[in-house]
Amino acid sequence: MPRRAVSRTLLATSFVASSALLASACGGSGATATSSSGGGKNLNIYAWAGEVPDSVVKGFEKETGIKVTVDTFDSNETMTAKLSSGSSGYDLVEPSQYTVQQLIGQQLVQPLDHAKIKGLDNLAAKFRDPSYDKGLKYTVPWIWGTTGFAYNDKCVKSATSWKTLFDSKYKGKLYMLDNMLAAYIAGLQVTGHRATSTDKDQISEATSVLQKQKNILAGYNSTNYPQLLASGRACAAEAWSGTAMAKVVQSDSHVHYVIPEEGGSVWTDGLAVPKGAKNTTSAYKFINYLLRPEVAAKATDDGSSASANQAARSYVKGKAALNNPAVYAPDSAIAKADFLLDPGTAMQYFQQGWTKVKAS
Amino acid sequence: MRSLADRATGWLARGVIVFLYVPIVVVVVLSFNDSDVTYKWAGFSTRWYGVLAGDTDLLSSLRVSAEVGVASATLATAGGLLAAMGMARLGRRFRAVFSGGLFLPLVIPEIVLGVALLSVFGTLRADLGLTTLVLGHLVVTLPYAALIVLGAHGALDPALDEAAADLGCNAWQRFRRVTLPLLRQPLVAAWLLCFTISFGNIVMSTFTSGVGTTTLPLRVYSLLKGGLTPEINALGTLLVLFTFLIILGAGLRQMRRVLVGGDGTPG
Repeated sequence: MPRRAVSRTLLATSFVASSALLASACGGSGATATSSSGGGKNLNIYAWAGEVPDSVVKGFEKETGIKVTVDTFDSNETMTAKLSSGSSGYDLVEPSQYTVQQLIGQQLVQPLDHAKIKGLDNLAAKFRDPSYDKGLKYTVPWIWGTTGFAYNDKCVKSATSWKTLFDSKYKGKLYMLDNMLAAYIAGLQVTGHRATSTDKDQISEATSVLQKQKNILAGYNSTNYPQLLASGRACAAEAWSGTAMAKVVQSDSHVHYVIPEEGGSVWTDGLAVPKGAKNTTSAYKFINYLLRPEVAAKATDDGSSASANQAARSYVKGKAALNNPAVYAPDSAIAKADFLLDPGTAMQYFQQGWTKVKAS
Repeated sequence: MRSLADRATGWLARGVIVFLYVPIVVVVVLSFNDSDVTYKWAGFSTRWYGVLAGDTDLLSSLRVSAEVGVASATLATAGGLLAAMGMARLGRRFRAVFSGGLFLPLVIPEIVLGVALLSVFGTLRADLGLTTLVLGHLVVTLPYAALIVLGAHGALDPALDEAAADLGCNAWQRFRRVTLPLLRQPLVAAWLLCFTISFGNIVMSTFTSGVGTTTLPLRVYSLLKGGLTPEINALGTLLVLFTFLIILGAGLRQMRRVLVGGDGTPG
């Protein structure tokens, strides 16, 4: 008998709990709607995990009294899908540079009112007038990084060129990023072309190089390659700079991150205001807050990312990060590097080629 | 003397159990790792549990996952029960059509359902959030709940219901005092299964979550790019512990039942 009573209460409790929950869910969304039309004491941000550090959010909340909600996404495509539904509810999103072009094309973001923005001149020269968003009409660059490669010097003596990743000497110990556009940076540059190429013949040349390369690869990996490098299971791997790579470079003196002499590529994640955003006043306040050098420095100290804010560098406390190429690539190395752009109609050449590479 | 095949099966079974439990053991052990990375041991430490306790983002996504799990499991189980009882009253042809419709989401790839739901919510101008997330998970879990409850309901002896009617019970009393108690175990099973499915769901959540409702799997998945820390292992360990406590609780009840000498059938 007690047994039955227990599970009956359990069932009843969960019924009550769930109905209360649904009620609160409706109440919750209603509350957001009223407060946002009332002048914006809320701010909803959709960003890459770890790129807007908690310390920054807390500091902003304390200073302005605005309640910030940060949700995180795992890919630009996930974020684009949410925005295209038209009712995502976000006031600020953090797309990568080629996605900025797509979002502008699909009219999912709104032009920024530069009269409301202070501190753009704190940005590094490379990000003041970038090719993907001329005049920063839609975005404010926040975090940047590079696509290059890393190697373990127990296995590869030294390396400066993409050719390392195509060297059959290291057969079975090489990895490429499991990402179409990233793989083609290497494919295009190793054949002497620019990473931003949209030329059909150049792309097919890169495709055949990548196809040949697949025979000597251990695999495509964009998740735990830093660990594979540290443990020596990988001799060299195509790599993104940033938290994961920086940690390994810092903790393991044998792992080195390199921007290849062929150029490599620079990526950047910036802030944009989606169309239909309700709390735009708060959004501009947050953008201005992030543009302050001492706040931007926290992206490096608390998030191990490189800030697009030049003035922030003198405020960074962990000076080691400034010299860690897996966080801040040296200026000389990125001078030649292009921003990877949305290939537009040439996308189909990449997709067809990549399918061939993956299927071969 | 046991035959070779017997022994081979025995070893195979051991191998499978090791394979199943090794990852869990690894998660638990590495949660006490005093290193910034999950793959290298740097001495014993409980500091990641401290980090976890202060990580509001991760804890709030844990809360979201638990809420959505409870809500969608409860609604799915209730829906499954209603479906089972309703279908028992339908004619054979209608029943076939209805059950086909009910189980269709099992066959359609989840990503298709997710995209479809997202465009429906977009068209309706419904704000993405807890409500849309629960509805999305309901689409995924309802077929499972219905499958379990339908099977159990079909196996009920109709004579019990008829007997109750003969003794003067009205429809509600028969449901309340006969059908529901008989279905208690499958209902609990369906609820737990739905909760588990919802808790681990990633595809549907990708499309139906909104402001402030990033679920735990979504949060962990998005952390991958920056590299995981043993903090995730600490969280995993606590979840494993929690599950063990539930199983232990169920086990104790069962034990008590055996000791008391009941045979497990209600009533």
